[in-house]
Amino acid sequence: MNSPLPLTRRQFLQHSAVTTAVVAAPLILPSGLRGQNAPSKKITVGIVGCGNIADGHYGPLLGSPETIRVLAVCDVDRARRDSAAARVNKEYGNADCKTYGDFRELNRRTDIDVVFICTPDHWHALVAIDAMRNGKDVYVEKPLTLTIAEGRALVDTARKYNRVAQHGTQHRSMKRFHDVAEFVRNNGLGKLERIDCFIPPNNRHCGATWQPEPVPANLDWEMWLGPAPWRPYNSKGCHYNFRFISESAYGQVTNWGAHYLDIGQWALGMDDSGPVSVEGHGEFPSSGLFTNCTNVNFTVRYANGVPMHCRTRFEGGGTARFVGERGWLDIARDKMSASDNNLLREMQAPNKKVQLELSNNHHDNFFACVRSRQRPIADVGLGHRTTTVCNLGQIGMVLGRKLQWDPVNEAFVNDDVANRLRTRAMRSPWSLA
Amino acid sequence: MNVDNPPAAPAAKPKKVVSANPADRYSNAGNTPEPWDECARLEYGADRSFAWSVREQVIATPPEGRERVEEKLLNALASSGRTDAGLAFICQMLAMVASAKSVPALAPLLRADKTAYSARYTLERIAGPEADTAFRDALGALTGTAKAGLIGSIGVRGDTAATSALTALKDASAEPAIVREAATRALERLSHSKA
Repeated sequence: MNSPLPLTRRQFLQHSAVTTAVVAAPLILPSGLRGQNAPSKKITVGIVGCGNIADGHYGPLLGSPETIRVLAVCDVDRARRDSAAARVNKEYGNADCKTYGDFRELNRRTDIDVVFICTPDHWHALVAIDAMRNGKDVYVEKPLTLTIAEGRALVDTARKYNRVAQHGTQHRSMKRFHDVAEFVRNNGLGKLERIDCFIPPNNRHCGATWQPEPVPANLDWEMWLGPAPWRPYNSKGCHYNFRFISESAYGQVTNWGAHYLDIGQWALGMDDSGPVSVEGHGEFPSSGLFTNCTNVNFTVRYANGVPMHCRTRFEGGGTARFVGERGWLDIARDKMSASDNNLLREMQAPNKKVQLELSNNHHDNFFACVRSRQRPIADVGLGHRTTTVCNLGQIGMVLGRKLQWDPVNEAFVNDDVANRLRTRAMRSPWSLA
Repeated sequence: MNVDNPPAAPAAKPKKVVSANPADRYSNAGNTPEPWDECARLEYGADRSFAWSVREQVIATPPEGRERVEEKLLNALASSGRTDAGLAFICQMLAMVASAKSVPALAPLLRADKTAYSARYTLERIAGPEADTAFRDALGALTGTAKAGLIGSIGVRGDTAATSALTALKDASAEPAIVREAATRALERLSHSKA
């Protein structure tokens, strides 16, 4: 398949913003009908984390001022939060957007309905849990959490407080991925033989050693680290590059794996379950600041015998290939192809026996659910299951041996070391308690 | 040439003695530090190749060998040149294999604000009453954020024997808000565990 460069996240979200602007025409209702969830009520938003991931959300959020209003932004980097606030204020033509360096202050504002969590991964669970405890609905960027234990705690909190919580895996709201998942689920490929997910390589590199650097005046480094183990500041280990350091993320396994493994889970009908084993042999750097896998290679296997492989693809973007007895289907953000074009035609046939929920816009879906109190297309329950698959791959590659996984109890079978890697203690004063 | 006094023969080179033991032939092969010693002296930003070597050994050790690995890590923990980065690394390794046997070595570290987090990193994952006791015993030794973190670990572990101590902390006006809030959260978690 000769595919052009995949849509970047930003391009995708900009496209979504246009769609949002078209479909989100304001509804004018009598004031007597304006309840908490009335369509005419503006949904107020706070954004925690103002880096490159948040960049992709401004279009959809600021593009519908009649229905969505961004009231506040938060970042531990003053320059970033000031820049974000300036962007919001410019769009609204005022100076109302408040800035915070501590997410807890934003979460305690009673006039904010939802919180977008765009921090480094090691913060996702704590910020989301605190927001939901304070009555907010949340949109949590992928991966849902850093560890399996954090994911379970986040989902339990969403259920306990009856919050709408969307996982930022926007492939769930792209029709192409929906169609493939639905086709596979309906045995369109015949008996499914395997799924091959390819993820990009790490796109940042550093040497074998590094030097501690002075913390920039605009950055609260202690708060940036938060629950992660302490280390001295180095500019290469902050902001975007956090994803290559295992104290904060699991590299491309969680960065891109969260997208493509998620579609595998969807196609297999495993949104509330997962594989039963994992085996991996990744390559990790033995020195230097970055600690995450440079060459990913793991396989999870489901109870029905279907394996899902995840490997680094050193040239080209992420893809997933579904292989069945009738042929194969390739899916990426920008393109879909098949071993036989008839498969693509069959995919569009109506009235399939199993019909998966269809969302064409991840933000619209989330905000609609905030109003209806329904679970969104990428509810955190399934987000946790997908993030668990990422974690299984990471743990499998770290330990380098085959592991059995019990998806019901969310525990490895007879492997104490692997089970210990499901969680990690948080640096004071933070905890999952 | 004076044949009566022939020039002295050049001194014979000492004959190289080759040991029958093949391992001895490599005794001068180099000055490679011992990874189990080096890992305790790890510095932030420095080459971590030796720590990596230890990590690989910890991970590759089968269950029957973990007691031996735990011992080696505890020896490294006790070494005199241990650095902050070394402590963090050793505790991360112990977190994978430590048993109740490690608790006595970690308990003093748990009772000091500066080292409590590294100790918690391991202790939080050691099942059993020995670790629970160490956590409860440290409640009176830590202050501020370190104490809040300790309380969080107790909550995560679900140690209901700490309920009365946490209840007292929740209501203690002398404690900072961060400690009282941590106690409140931990108690919520414990009540959930009981249910």
